[in-house]
Amino acid sequence: MLLTVPAAQAQMKFFKMQKDSIPLFRGFSVSFDLVGAGQMALSDYGQYEGALRINLHDEWFPIVEAGLGKASHDDEVTGMCYSTSALYFKIGVDKNLLKFKHGPNRLYGGLRYAFTSYKVDISCPEFPDPVWQWPTGYGMNDVACNYHWLEAVIGVDAKVFGPLHLGWSVRYKRRIAHSDGEIGKTWYVPGFGIYGDTRLGGTFNVIIDI
Amino acid sequence: MRKLTFCFCSILLAACSSIDCPVNNTVTTRYCFYNTDGDSLVLMDTLTISTVRQDGTDSIILNRNVGKASFSLPVSYSHPEDILVFNVYNKTMSVFDTVWVKKDDIPHFESVDCNASFFHRLTDVRHTKHFIDSIVIKNPSVDYDKNTTHFYIYPKVSD
Repeated sequence: MLLTVPAAQAQMKFFKMQKDSIPLFRGFSVSFDLVGAGQMALSDYGQYEGALRINLHDEWFPIVEAGLGKASHDDEVTGMCYSTSALYFKIGVDKNLLKFKHGPNRLYGGLRYAFTSYKVDISCPEFPDPVWQWPTGYGMNDVACNYHWLEAVIGVDAKVFGPLHLGWSVRYKRRIAHSDGEIGKTWYVPGFGIYGDTRLGGTFNVIIDI
Repeated sequence: MRKLTFCFCSILLAACSSIDCPVNNTVTTRYCFYNTDGDSLVLMDTLTISTVRQDGTDSIILNRNVGKASFSLPVSYSHPEDILVFNVYNKTMSVFDTVWVKKDDIPHFESVDCNASFFHRLTDVRHTKHFIDSIVIKNPSVDYDKNTTHFYIYPKVSD
């Protein structure tokens, strides 16, 4: 009992805003992720992602992120072709973890709920059955899938000049629900990355205060 | 700041993906012998099974199986019916039975790194009755699970 009272007080302190003369609403900022765009440019999958963040007293930052995830992969070894293109959405909140909240730089900790509904085209070229030698192959179009996941976020945001900020974030992703249609599994999930093993991800953001 | 950069680089390196094909990626059907009392039966005669390929030639898919109560056979990827020729023999006799296995083929995708595979749903089995008394589909679903028994075979001679 004696231990739980300080713990509860610490929790209340974490969620409580600092009392000072700074107003609650401090404006919006928009950002664009360069990592996903770089992935898109350098590989055969990636995503364009932007975000709108609300600044509440430089402490709490409700955020909506949206992006377009795309993949078009033709595997040289297996011959499997996989393509998808779909929007995804993330909603969550960040907290500024620095003691001095109103400075030009911020250290964020936050959570996101993310969702995408996507369709995939999968095909493999015809090949002979290894025993029977019958010509074999398959192609499936518009297989409807969906994916829900959570992200824990740690990030930094540094003011460069004027309204321009730069920042990066590291994200730990955890799938909470999914549907892969009737094809077994999918490969690239828009916004999440490669199916299954992509637990960690990152962003590098160009941020503009508006 | 240096420590933070080091941590960030380490996490990025740790996030590199790997090839995720299942270790057991063969799709086979498993057959078990049973006697008329429903007990598992070890076949003491020699069993060889061949199949008819697309070009009409034979291919042996089980060679000289002796003293086993079960065996596994491959399944054609996308042909609606497999024809299997069972040859049971010992020093004094040789008997042939033909088995026709009908199935639906279900394309299965694992990853672009993995070769194409097919799961199956067994729909019907029929056979001649020289050595085999009956074959029953126990589990119609054929996938990567190699421990599932799909067919029970009841031979006419059970010893």
